[in-house]
Amino acid sequence: MHWHGVRVPNAMDGVPLITQPPIAPGGEFIYEFVPPDAGTFFYHPHQRSYEQVGRGLAGALIVDEREPPKVDRDLLWVLGDWRLNRDASIRGGFGSFMDASHNGRVGNTVTINGRVPNEFLARAGERIRLRLVNAATARVFGLAFGGHRPWIVALDGQPVEPHEPEQGVIVLGPAMRADLILDMAAAPGSRHSVRDGFYRSLEYELLKIAYGNEPPLRKRAEDPFRLPANPLSEPTIQNAERHDVLFTGGMMGNMSAMRRGMAWAVNGTSGSCGEGTSAFDPLFVLRKGRSYVLNLVNDTAWHHPIHLHGHSFRVITRNGRPAKYREWLDTVLLPPREQAEIAFVADNPGDWMFHCHVLEHQAGGMMACIRVT
Amino acid sequence: MLGALGAVRLARAQGVRDAVLYKNPQCGCCEDYAAYLRRNGFRVKVVATHDLDAIKTQNHVPERLNGCHTTLVDGYVVEGHVPVASIERLLRQRPRIRGISLPGMPQGSPGMTGVKKEPFHIYEIDTHSSAEPRVYAIE
Repeated sequence: MHWHGVRVPNAMDGVPLITQPPIAPGGEFIYEFVPPDAGTFFYHPHQRSYEQVGRGLAGALIVDEREPPKVDRDLLWVLGDWRLNRDASIRGGFGSFMDASHNGRVGNTVTINGRVPNEFLARAGERIRLRLVNAATARVFGLAFGGHRPWIVALDGQPVEPHEPEQGVIVLGPAMRADLILDMAAAPGSRHSVRDGFYRSLEYELLKIAYGNEPPLRKRAEDPFRLPANPLSEPTIQNAERHDVLFTGGMMGNMSAMRRGMAWAVNGTSGSCGEGTSAFDPLFVLRKGRSYVLNLVNDTAWHHPIHLHGHSFRVITRNGRPAKYREWLDTVLLPPREQAEIAFVADNPGDWMFHCHVLEHQAGGMMACIRVT
Repeated sequence: MLGALGAVRLARAQGVRDAVLYKNPQCGCCEDYAAYLRRNGFRVKVVATHDLDAIKTQNHVPERLNGCHTTLVDGYVVEGHVPVASIERLLRQRPRIRGISLPGMPQGSPGMTGVKKEPFHIYEIDTHSSAEPRVYAIE
């Protein structure tokens, strides 16, 4: 079991063949760690994950702040995506090359906390902390809360300067999380639509917000709060050692990897290390305690949420421009043909997976490892 | 329904063939293939869907014959980047098969980038898909 985003000791990271033997049916493995950071995290197996997660083995892991900020409700939406038959059974065909070489196994049914959502009941004037977790293997969400102006206060479990999302749309790739402040500022009795418009021409309504008729809890919303910082090591960018990481492959991309039956590659190699392979050829060996900048280049026609285990990193630039919020993430979404620089202190020794979290892409070769020694 | 059939008959009389092309919402090569069909006299409706897998199953396209997108034209399935000469022959001769496929995404095929490296093997999509697929054409 992998504790996504939680900076655990390497032996607790839950990657079969790298940090532990797989847990056999009926077997057990005791995970024991003290989570260093408060925030919204996620857990899932790292064994045949495109199918195990695709069939629902994933959940949220919430670490409370010592003094959680005051809200009226603290809610969790685990976003799921399923490819179902007409009788609502899960369709087979996991691991098809078609899915692996395109945008993964995007499904036909979206759920919140395991159910197809209908209405979300709200009271005028209340302040909600809404924790979003994208537990899908492949679907990217682009959520717009019609008639509302949510603030983002944390990303991937790490506090960020409170800000409104660009164009009001919260974009979450697989495994990404966001903590929102949602002030229910509309009128009692009103109804609003939460829509997901990430895939052009396939926009749909995720659910309706339905306000009760009670009078507003408060007249106007307070300023958004800042979450207390977690104890992360600040990288020193000037002295950081730099590495380039090039992601290639997929449909409409470089086909050389495809001919070998793998759709994707990291720095020219498919699946040099990671889940489901006994190969071990780390991409980089990093020295413990040093700062690093990785220049991530998506040279493909597809989105890739790139996840580093064991560390959170700062996004310092996107496409050559300084990142506005220098957010701490554990999974950075790289749109097609785009680039991002991430910086972190390699302060957690061990062998860590570094991979695309479209799990069909990961299985199709877009995974590597980084060794911190 | 009658109206739609009437429109199809009319279109056929005018030499325009209607096609519906199902594709991944983010895939560009399928759009290029649709443009290729349009240049060759087809009227193409492009439908973006996450359910390509179901569309292939409904149309009896076996996995080994999967291409990128699935096109339905005049009662036949045309799977992947099939060159138009084979489609024309299919629609002219109307054999008792479900359709034809150019599996995978071969470089240099219509709508694809790259240079053609070897002849394209186009297979029949048969009514009994368990059999070894028969070659329909080599282009």
